[in-house]
Amino acid sequence: MTRTISAVILSVVAVASTNAVPGFAQTPTEADYYRLIPYDIPAYINLEAGGIELMPDGKLAVSTRRGDIYMIDEPFADPPTSVRWTPFAKGLHEVLGIHAVGDWLYATQRCELTRLKDEDGDGKADLFETVNDDWEITGDYHEYAFGSPPDAEGNIWVVLCLTGSFNSNAPYRGWCVRITPDGKLLPTCSGIRSPGGIAMNAAGDVFYTDNQGPWNGTCSLKHLKPGSFQGHPGGNNWYDITDGAIGPRPTEPQSESRMMVEAKKIPELEPPAVYFPYQKMGQSASGIACDTTGGKFGPFEGQLFVGDQTHSTVMRVFLEQVNGHYQGACFPFRAGFGSGSLSLKMTDNGLFVGGTNRGWGSRGNKPYSLDRLVWTGKVPFEIHEMRAKPDGFELTFTHEVDSKSAADVASYELQTYAYIYQASYGSPEVDHTKPTITRAEVAADKRSVRLFIDGLQEGHVHELHLLGIQSRQGMPLLHQEAYYTLNYIPAS
Amino acid sequence: MPPRCPDAFSIIVAMLIVACTLAVPFASGQSTSHPIVPGFERFYAQSSGDVAAGELLIGELGCLSCHRAEAAIAARVLSKQAPILDHVGLRVRPEFLRAYLADPQKTKPGTTMPNLFSSVSEAERTEQVEALTHFLASTGSLLEGGPVTPAIRRGEQLFHTVGCVACHNPRREGSTQLSTSVPLPEMESKYSVPGLTEFLKNPLAVRLAGRMPHMNLDDTQAREIASYLLRNLEVASKLEYAYYEGNWDKLPDFDSLTPTSYGVSASFDVNVGRENSFAIVFRGRFRVEQEGNYVFHIGSDDGSRLKVDGHEVVTVDGIHPFSSGKGKIALQPGIHELEVQYFEGGGEQELKVEFQGKGIDRRALEYALVGSDDEQKATDRFQVDPTLAAKGKQLFSSIGCASCHQLRVDGKQLASERTAKPFAALVARGGCLSGTGAGVPRFHLNDAQSSSVAAAIKLLNNATTLPEKTPEQAITSTLIAFNCVACHQRGELGGVESGRNALFQSDQPEMGDEGRIPPHLTGVGSKLQPEWLKQVFDKGAKDRPYMFTQMPRFGSQNVGHLIAAFGQVDPEVADHGITTDIDERHLKAAGRKLVGSEGFSCIKCHTWGNEKATGIQSINMVTMTRRLKENWFHEYLLNPQQYRPGTRMPAAWPQGQVLLPTLLDGKAMTQIHSVWEFLSDGAKATAPVGLGTDPIILTAFDEAIIYRNFIEGAGPRAIGVGYPEKANQAFDANDLRIALLWHGAFMDASKHWIGRGPGFQPPLGDNILKLPLGVSFAILSSPEASWPTATAKELGYEFRGYRLGEARRPTFLYDVGKVRVEDTLVPDSKEPFTSATRTLKLATALPVENVWYRAAVGNSIEATDDDWYIVDGSWRIRLDVESTIRKSAGKVELLIPVRVTSEATVITQQYAW
Repeated sequence: MTRTISAVILSVVAVASTNAVPGFAQTPTEADYYRLIPYDIPAYINLEAGGIELMPDGKLAVSTRRGDIYMIDEPFADPPTSVRWTPFAKGLHEVLGIHAVGDWLYATQRCELTRLKDEDGDGKADLFETVNDDWEITGDYHEYAFGSPPDAEGNIWVVLCLTGSFNSNAPYRGWCVRITPDGKLLPTCSGIRSPGGIAMNAAGDVFYTDNQGPWNGTCSLKHLKPGSFQGHPGGNNWYDITDGAIGPRPTEPQSESRMMVEAKKIPELEPPAVYFPYQKMGQSASGIACDTTGGKFGPFEGQLFVGDQTHSTVMRVFLEQVNGHYQGACFPFRAGFGSGSLSLKMTDNGLFVGGTNRGWGSRGNKPYSLDRLVWTGKVPFEIHEMRAKPDGFELTFTHEVDSKSAADVASYELQTYAYIYQASYGSPEVDHTKPTITRAEVAADKRSVRLFIDGLQEGHVHELHLLGIQSRQGMPLLHQEAYYTLNYIPAS
Repeated sequence: MPPRCPDAFSIIVAMLIVACTLAVPFASGQSTSHPIVPGFERFYAQSSGDVAAGELLIGELGCLSCHRAEAAIAARVLSKQAPILDHVGLRVRPEFLRAYLADPQKTKPGTTMPNLFSSVSEAERTEQVEALTHFLASTGSLLEGGPVTPAIRRGEQLFHTVGCVACHNPRREGSTQLSTSVPLPEMESKYSVPGLTEFLKNPLAVRLAGRMPHMNLDDTQAREIASYLLRNLEVASKLEYAYYEGNWDKLPDFDSLTPTSYGVSASFDVNVGRENSFAIVFRGRFRVEQEGNYVFHIGSDDGSRLKVDGHEVVTVDGIHPFSSGKGKIALQPGIHELEVQYFEGGGEQELKVEFQGKGIDRRALEYALVGSDDEQKATDRFQVDPTLAAKGKQLFSSIGCASCHQLRVDGKQLASERTAKPFAALVARGGCLSGTGAGVPRFHLNDAQSSSVAAAIKLLNNATTLPEKTPEQAITSTLIAFNCVACHQRGELGGVESGRNALFQSDQPEMGDEGRIPPHLTGVGSKLQPEWLKQVFDKGAKDRPYMFTQMPRFGSQNVGHLIAAFGQVDPEVADHGITTDIDERHLKAAGRKLVGSEGFSCIKCHTWGNEKATGIQSINMVTMTRRLKENWFHEYLLNPQQYRPGTRMPAAWPQGQVLLPTLLDGKAMTQIHSVWEFLSDGAKATAPVGLGTDPIILTAFDEAIIYRNFIEGAGPRAIGVGYPEKANQAFDANDLRIALLWHGAFMDASKHWIGRGPGFQPPLGDNILKLPLGVSFAILSSPEASWPTATAKELGYEFRGYRLGEARRPTFLYDVGKVRVEDTLVPDSKEPFTSATRTLKLATALPVENVWYRAAVGNSIEATDDDWYIVDGSWRIRLDVESTIRKSAGKVELLIPVRVTSEATVITQQYAW
């Protein structure tokens, strides 16, 4: 700690001002590729956005933590000066998920799944029908409920936060349940701690984010495979009321172990598909959206976008399946949202991000926000995909790479680490290793690089920095880091 | 080199407390235990001949007290001074002293006190021990006193949370016992509750060396911990007491009150019930031997009064912190009746009763209390024999007790007459190391210990020039000797042992380890201001209110050298070099904005003075600039992870980026500097915006409004409805009932809409009518069947939602079995305190029998002439259908039989309250 702070700041400034890339006036920034359109929210509306839905009539519905649902006319106006806000419903209990189905708007409240309808056509809901209330609440603020969009069978998946961080004091707290179109509850997964969002990938498989805390070394994206145990045993007493719906209660995990050590012992335990390393990627993983726009949102079709509430960011996730389990990599994507990113909704005209920082601070300093992120049409130079191989990784890029820098192993820095899987809160990074990249092979089309690595670590996050890589045009990567969660090393 | 941490899990399974009867036969020491020095057990137990370990033991065993050493050697050793024995008789039982002197290691396994009689004949040992016991007992007379149950319970909690178990073993059943724990003797054989309480309030008074630090316990807390540690002590109770509960601001008229409970006690211990809003009257008898005037002192928090033989002697009434008064009364020799009255409003509670008179110095009145079986007990009590005490006094000097222990008689310290080889003449074998020679103190060192001490003696005596310890070595040896490492980690050294980890707790589980594990000391010299460190050493610290473990006082005379050493080792963070010509007031205004809700909302997680944060309750912002070095603060804010890996503290200026570019020209360092400047005003700073909570009042104007949340009295699934008429309801969607009706203002949503929203919010208005728990509808097998107590869900009822109708008033929809219910409440008028009409529409596809609606339940229901019923004499209900009043389960119920068919049945009722 001998360097002075002023030196640090100066160097940051220096990067921004003088290190311009040839052909660019300045180093490209996220905003060059993805433009943020913030919405001016009328002073009388508190828009702590917990859920966002595009309605069949073209309006945008936004539900709030205070329990209101607003309809926004002309949501895609740019700049959004002509949008009009009308209250559709008020007085619900912390709505974290809304989804239009026919004439109905389904809303997941803390205590129940409800569907709302405007029967008299005055633009406000008058009928509030309880679809299912088989899960319960005790009065603990932590007992949130996040609802997914309907799946192919019309089920809405609900992830239910524990009572606090450690316990489950009411039925199905710490569980994922499915609510069928006729209002039945199907117990689906156990082991939930504190969700921040839930949505499907392009294949229709359901994922949720869970947050750093007991049994969660850091925040992560998890696959809600029906019947699986997601890692926090606090709610496992409720196997007693499931009538064997997802089989018997799994073995209790051993605290202070490692996820993949326990996953080998407990068949139901589904390891997190992607860890978001604490502080490096974020601190509170939240909403999820999948790019199914067929290219309208840029080059990342099929990938997932995940919010982070503390850092007011959206991260990007590439997933693949290895040994029948999802795993993959996360990458920084876009910072600068107005408040703490919570709810995400992908549309053909951009990604809506709703924010709040009530109770949990955020970098974005507004108390609440709604932003739309639109692709400018320019393709950023990014790692496109990162796939695990038996002896390394394969990286693909959004632009052709400069062969010289990409083939140079010195352009890459790799370290690995794991997290302690334990009953106490969170975990530091542990079991650090530094595998050797023995070779970097650039494909003929210059769109991918094959890294051969000595010392891949099963069960570790592989943190890769691509400091020296340039595109064929001499651009640096917009984001140089990737974090691959290598739960399983593929056999071939 | 920092010592390695060996197997931190090693556990002594069957250590602790060989029950020692008070009259231990003086069998020669066959003990298998060895002196326990926690730092040695933790870091060196597996070592052999480690010099640093030897130096540690030389200090902790007090070797240099007898073996005088040159300054260069003495400077390397942190010598632990033995306890001061000036008034040991006041706190330690003579019977314990007798057993302990005869065989310290057997009486207190793990003790660092050597056996001085291991090589003398049994007869001689018995004689000398007896003389020393009488001498030590002559230094004061132990005040007897036992524990009271509520204090034991609170003491158990305190003992296991405030930090005692960082060094001592936890004492709950089944607790893990660790080999690194500082041993305790069988406590009941050593102490009484008053004696141990006095010791715990300030251990540094008799143990200057600071190994047992001052825990900043107040009188009540010290008494509670003492009560817990002495929970099995049985003491003759000489006082009877009556205990009362109520709210008073002065002593009540006890004759008009009925006690909540009665009990007996050995002392004026007021911790017999709850902690606030109570009163106690003690009654007992005491004896004086001579005729004369006696002065009685009474001191209390809050009020108290003392009566002798029915005469008021002294009163200290009212609510106040501990304060005392005195009064005089002439007494004849003999036994007198005593009454002491006491009451406690809130806060601390304490009561002290003392007296003085002819030939009696001021002392606790408990000394003079007499019990019914007193004559018999008197013979059991230890009586000091002056001849033996005089002989013991000589022995104290001659056999060398005085080499280690300070003991003053009449203000004069006894000098040791025992000589030992100077340290420089020690040869590192035999003598105390083996403990076998004639007249040699026997420490019962194990092999690792004796080889370490021998290695250190060799090195210290053979080195031609003895190097001074480096500052880092000095830090290491101090942190180990004082067992700072039990709580704190510095670099690779120490930190909470895994076997104790779960004992460190917090009231903010969401803060994770940061909330419960004391902060690490890596780079602490770069971080904390020297003045602050000194204050922490001298006064302890409670800057982390969420953390149960408290930083105790070690005394800067003991550990103050750490301040300079930290300063030498930990580099000063380079000056941030910020200069700005911005007006100081403007700078502070910018800092205030950054701290508040319009900036980075630091106050969401950090407490501000006495104001709670809205999220977690992290360290107080008001003392930050007194605690921290300015340059460290600047660099910390840029990258908290660099200093506290894993901290939840976010980086507000990630990699120096500025997220609020319009403030202070968007310069990160100037912004950070402005925060520092703002905070430097401490508690005098204008509070940041967003601190505290303003009410958020929900009001229905033209239409009804709904508030679904945790409402006090209506459950977690309450649906509050505010009507423009200012008559409101809270519907309980769990039990399908109206839970509350009230008038006036509807709700204050701030509890739930500011911060995370914990807790239940009561209605904001007035005249709240709480309707009884339980479902409103039931299917009864007979008209006599009692009303079900199961929940609606258990009975298979279903909440189906609501429909908003005219003026957006909700009609609640629910199913009672096959019966569909529509339930609407409409206030009758806009008059103040209006009545309200509830309409229930019931329908079913098939007729259902035996359905009952319970319109009211209470202790009394009376019908009036005009169709109203008065419930509990306080509210009224009117029905338009046939009804019946019945008694069931100790209550009166107003029931309506309902014949439900496909034609809707309607029940209308009016509430007036």
